[in-house]
Amino acid sequence: MSDRVVEVSGLRKIYKVHERQSGLGATVRSLVKRTFKEVQAVAGIDFAIEQGEVVGFLGPNGAGKTTTLKMLSGLLYPTSGTATVLGYTPWDRRDEYLRRMTLLMGNRTQLVWDIPAADSFLVLKEIFQIDDKSYQRRFDDLVELLELGPLIHKPVRQLSLGERMKVEFAAGLLHAPEVVFLDEPTLGLDVSMQVRIRGFVRELNKRTGATVLLTSHYMDDIVALCKRVIVIHHGRLLYDGGLADLAERMAPYKLVAATLRDGAADADLSKYGEIVSRDAGRVTLRVPRAQAADQTARIVGDLGPDLADLTLEDPAIEEVIDRVFSGDHPFGTPEREPVAAR
Amino acid sequence: MTLARIYRALLLAGFQQAAQYRIQSLLWMLFAIIRPVIFLAAWIAVAVAQGGDIGGFKVGDFAAYYVCMTFVSQLTMAWNSHEFEWEVNQGRLSAKLLRPLHPLHYSVVENLVFKLNTLPVLGVVLILVSISFGAIYRTQVWHIIAFIPSVILAAALLFMFNWVIATLAFWATRMRTANTLFQRTLFIFAGQIAPIGLMPGWLQAVSYALPFWYMMGAPTEILRGGVTQEQVAQILIGQSVWLAITFVAFQWIWRRGVRAYSAVGA
Repeated sequence: MSDRVVEVSGLRKIYKVHERQSGLGATVRSLVKRTFKEVQAVAGIDFAIEQGEVVGFLGPNGAGKTTTLKMLSGLLYPTSGTATVLGYTPWDRRDEYLRRMTLLMGNRTQLVWDIPAADSFLVLKEIFQIDDKSYQRRFDDLVELLELGPLIHKPVRQLSLGERMKVEFAAGLLHAPEVVFLDEPTLGLDVSMQVRIRGFVRELNKRTGATVLLTSHYMDDIVALCKRVIVIHHGRLLYDGGLADLAERMAPYKLVAATLRDGAADADLSKYGEIVSRDAGRVTLRVPRAQAADQTARIVGDLGPDLADLTLEDPAIEEVIDRVFSGDHPFGTPEREPVAAR
Repeated sequence: MTLARIYRALLLAGFQQAAQYRIQSLLWMLFAIIRPVIFLAAWIAVAVAQGGDIGGFKVGDFAAYYVCMTFVSQLTMAWNSHEFEWEVNQGRLSAKLLRPLHPLHYSVVENLVFKLNTLPVLGVVLILVSISFGAIYRTQVWHIIAFIPSVILAAALLFMFNWVIATLAFWATRMRTANTLFQRTLFIFAGQIAPIGLMPGWLQAVSYALPFWYMMGAPTEILRGGVTQEQVAQILIGQSVWLAITFVAFQWIWRRGVRAYSAVGA
């Protein structure tokens, strides 16, 4: 039996957007005749996710990530294509499906502002039909994992953004969803809160075996949580595979950082690779992956005692992603097509 | 029963929330009373000028009509189309759509909470208005018994009609105009300006054929004792038919609306 929890095939979403030029004339004309443009947000993507995987869903703003998550959670109907999550078609929005998945969006509240979160939780307990024993166990787990003790009995509106996010997380997970869609879960949070949320997602996956599909603009989230990433750009799938492979395929070079002693600070290292930066005796070179070991050995051999330190690193994942989105990689950048204008 | 447990939890949360806004609730309720009282004063002035009687309505009948109308308006009022437009445009509806409970249920509870919270004060105010204006009630016990299903049907009908209008927000960014049009129509045909019996014959015929009178005017007439048993039966049938039509229309529009929902900003 297949362990695939999420299966997506040819999923496509076109938005119809009202368009009008600025100015009085255009305003008057739009009263009589409205012009619409169709914009392809998701241009036919395919992927599958196995039970228990934590997958990063990457793409620049407007790439179609959130639209895809909204379709998979049943909020949006696709223009075409198919998807099943836990065997359900999400946009049928069957109660049994909604009870088994969650979509958590950073900065979006689903709790009642004027009452303590604990009271909102009791409402969710009934809506999701959680029995008393399971509820109490999950409640205790979430309070412990997210350190909610001092927050849970305060009105939600009195919580800080980070505190509210933690409480929102708990609210979205009370029904122990088997599939968790996370859209920018650490958006706007300080570094320490980001680390806690990451730790929590990791623990959640470990404890419950929940399948997680996560979007984030913070690469630290992705690096900390996801072995596999799916990259989309202009609604098309660019890459689906290991995070480590992404760096190898999209950025086929390594970075050699050489720190030179005072007497050799001006040495010319350009023959070993492309100089990326030079700063107070520290020179960073971009070297093709295949030549990285050889060039490193050459630098050590040639410079000998003039070398204070030498490191060989993969480029930062942010840089790799930036290259992908800017089209500076072997696959080029797919064009976003306005499907039709009328 | 699951739905009963959900309603109990929602009502509890609703009352806790409403406790934060007690003054606002009372002001809304008092605001809703002002208009009928103005109409009451105006009609009494006209009736007095015409010798104390207009089309069979005496001063005390007008007082009873507007007191009952205020009471019924408060029990049947629905405002979800305003909130729904905001929820759709801000993407706040998404959180509700992700739960295994139709968003309509949250509105039912909000509606109940507001009404239950304001009813005691409203009752006192209406008793005072009743005494001050010398209201004459022709109500018998069977009127009171018939009033209960009638006002429930009226509230359900107005609520569902409001939801039909609310659902237009799936397609139109601003549907307040549709709601305003509905409110104005309600104002004319529901009997808020004047008892329908005092209107020209053709307007009466139109009012009885449309659903609006069944939302307010009909239970008002039952409560003040202004209708016969045969008329009560016709009212209850009319209300049931309109409720069924509105409910089917809502289901049809909702199914299509949810497909059109773009979940912007959420």
